Parts: sequence; C-alpha cells; structure tokens
Amino acid sequence: MDQIVRYFFDFQLMSAYWPDILRGFLITVQMSILTVVIGIPLGLVLAVLRLYGIRPLNWLIIFYIDFFRSIPQLVLIVLAYFALPYFGLVLEPFTATVLALAIVLSAFAEEIFWAGINAVSKGQWEAGRSTGLSFTKTLAYIILPQVVRISIPPLTNRAIGISKGTTLGSVVAVPELLNVTSSIQSNVANPTALTVGALLFLLLFLPFVRFTRWLEHAYSHPRS
Amino acid sequence: MSAQPATTAASSETIVSIEGLRKSFGEVEVLRGVDLRVGKGEAVVIVGSSGSGKSTCLRCINRLEEPTAGTIRVGGQEVTGPKVDLNLLRRRIGMVFQGIHLYPHKTALGNVTLALRKVVGLGKDEAEHKARHHLEVVGLAHKADSYPAELSGGQQQRVGIARAMALEPQVMLFDEPTSALDPELVGEVLNVMVRTKEMGMTMIVVTHEMKFARDVADRVVFMDHGAILAEGTPQEILINPQHQRIRDFVMRSHS
Repeated sequence: MDQIVRYFFDFQLMSAYWPDILRGFLITVQMSILTVVIGIPLGLVLAVLRLYGIRPLNWLIIFYIDFFRSIPQLVLIVLAYFALPYFGLVLEPFTATVLALAIVLSAFAEEIFWAGINAVSKGQWEAGRSTGLSFTKTLAYIILPQVVRISIPPLTNRAIGISKGTTLGSVVAVPELLNVTSSIQSNVANPTALTVGALLFLLLFLPFVRFTRWLEHAYSHPRS
Repeated sequence: MSAQPATTAASSETIVSIEGLRKSFGEVEVLRGVDLRVGKGEAVVIVGSSGSGKSTCLRCINRLEEPTAGTIRVGGQEVTGPKVDLNLLRRRIGMVFQGIHLYPHKTALGNVTLALRKVVGLGKDEAEHKARHHLEVVGLAHKADSYPAELSGGQQQRVGIARAMALEPQVMLFDEPTSALDPELVGEVLNVMVRTKEMGMTMIVVTHEMKFARDVADRVVFMDHGAILAEGTPQEILINPQHQRIRDFVMRSHS
C-alpha cells in the first residue's frame, strides 16, 4: 500500500510539479475544445453541402471523408507540421495538431450527420415542402432538429475519441498534458504525474459527457 | 358518362384543371393522359385499384411528383410552367398524407404554426391564434401542446388536416388519409373531412372508403391503368356502374 502511494500518489512531487501539469492541462483543454468546435460544425456543413447533390463537389466531399477517416491521426499531425512548410504553410505545433484532429473529426461527423439525415423519413421532407417551405427551410426547421438529436450519442463518442488524440501532439512537441506528465515521469522516475494527468483527463471529459447527455435531453421529444 | 359536376355545391369556377397529364417512372408509364377539372367547392373522390395511378395523379398537382407531360393549373396559375414559384404555389395547395408525417419534434400547435410563421411570415402570437382556431375546427384544441407520439393515429391525422387548412389553401389534396389508421379511428378523420367540405373547401380525395365516396363526393372518378375510365355522380359510378371493370371493383370493395 505504501508502495502504491509512493509511486502513484506522491503528494510532494505533485505539488512541486503542479504548475507544469496545470499548464499542460490547459493546453489539452484548449486543443480539445477547438477540435470539437471546429470539427463538428465543419462536418455538419459538409453533410448539408453533400445533400444539395452538386456532382463534382460531392465527389470531393466523399474523397475528403474517406481519406481523412482512413489515415492515422498521428501521420496527419506529422504531415501538417513537417510537410506543409514545403507548401509555404508553417504552423505552430499546437495549430498543426488541432487542424489535423479537427479535420479528422469533421470527416467522421459528416458521416454521422449524413446517416442521420438519411434516417429521417422522406415523408418529413414532403410534408414540409407541401406547405410551401423551401428546401433549405425544410432542412433547417424540420430535418436538422431531428438529425441533431439522433446524432448526439455517436458524435459524443467520436468527439471524445478524437479529442484524446490531442496527446498525439507530443510528437510535434506540443506541451500538452500527457507530454508534460510523461516527461516528469522520466525525469523523476515516478509515475505520480501520470496519475494526476489521468485524473485531469477525467475532469475534462466527464463534464463533457454530462453536457452531451443534457444536450440529448434538451433535443428530445416524446416518441412512440 | 357525364363530366359535369353533379351537385349545386360546385360552382362553375374551375380551381384545378389537369390536361393530358402523363407520368413515367423510368420505363413504366403510370399516368397515360389524365384530364380532370375540379370546380370551386367541389369534392372529387378518386377511386381505383392500387397501382392505377391515383396517388401519383394527386402528387403531380403540387409537384411532389414531376409530371412527364401535360398541363396542370391551380387557381388559373400553371403549376407545370417553367418559372413557377413552387413554394408560393404549394402554400395554396393543402396536402394530407397517408403516412400523416407530422413533425415528431414539434407539438400539435408547433406543427400547425411552422408554415404560418416561416412561409406566410406571421408573428408568433398571430400564428398561434390561427393555429389554435384550426385545431379547434378538427376538435383538438385541448391537444395543442401534445407531441405527435402522444396522440392517436386519428388525432395525428386531424392535426395533419389542420396543418394544411391553416394556410387557407384553394384546394385540399387527401392522399389516402385513412389507409394507415386502425378501423375504429377512421370515422373521426372522415368526419373532419366532411366538415372541411361543408366549409366550402375544394377537395380532391384519393381513398378506399366507398361509403365516404358515396355520401360525400360530388363526383367520383374511377382510375384504371393510369387513365380515367369513368367519372360521374357517386350514383352513376359506384351504385350503377356501367363498366364491368368498375362493377368488379365495387364488388370487391364491399366484401
């Protein structure tokens, strides 16, 4: 028991490194929020664009989502950081990581929204259009509210999964939580910092999960 | 057979006119030249076997189906014209569906107010006032705040009628409005439709309810293989049919 406390809950060590850990945590929070806030709306925009059925654009969208769902996030981060400069685009490690993750999330989110749109019956479209609502208004007021509700659980899964990918930012030296805590671990030969890191990840994602449950509830309606 | 409206309820003013309507789905020709005129305040019931093209014909009127050929006019305006404002036109053509298709995320009131607000552009209060009136007409004022899932099928369809009627259309299209309902719920919907007719609404109804056709229709149209085989009073078409084809159909419908 003492061993466990010494190895994983060394309070002296915790307080010594707390400022560094906190800084790493805040970077992780920022990256996660940015990834979700960029990735999910972008996915929705892509799904809606795809719905308009403009042929060459749709090919592009489908290529985009297939490509970015297939490629490992790690590779994408490395490419964004090391390859884009050759095309004249130099990104901070932080930006490169967020960009890569947000793009991957948008590709998955597009597919989730797309599946949701297709799950709403054709009759809903017809009912809306028959009252004189335009395509866009039918989409906005009738279809999307139903799509958002059914899409929240799978989107939450994806968003959490991909936000955890912020830890991959360490490959391009983003001083995010896992990078910081594992460095501390190597330096002091004690994994306490990792414990703190894990607890902080919980602190980050548990409220997020609660929030999405609340969102799900907010969009719910009685169903037969 | 007579093409004249049979009762005094129908005035001479034509609300819907269909000329040479054809519709193909790929190789299959579903409508093979339909001509139909519906006068103001007239209730026309279209009957016929399934696959005869009744629903497709109805759905061409507000262009939920795109006609392959032919001309359709509603209130003197060409529906099939190239530059027609479809959204403006559909506002004036109410439709009630077999599948009902209420918006599940909106209350009964919300179902009725949506188009009033977003298409007509009424304010919230005015739209709700109007919607409540139309829910009252279908006997569901007390269910205004219920969601579709909390209503019976018959109640849902009555909301569907209120949703369409609230836009004060020139004509109401009913596409088998009771076919998806439990038998004991059919009556309440038919009663609302009778009421709609009594209010002077022009109606085109596709239905298998022969009693409704006999009692309420000013004119019955019998469709067969994508064309109108006969039209006339309910008496002429359903009680003393001249065609063997129709006699068979009527016999089957009674059983």
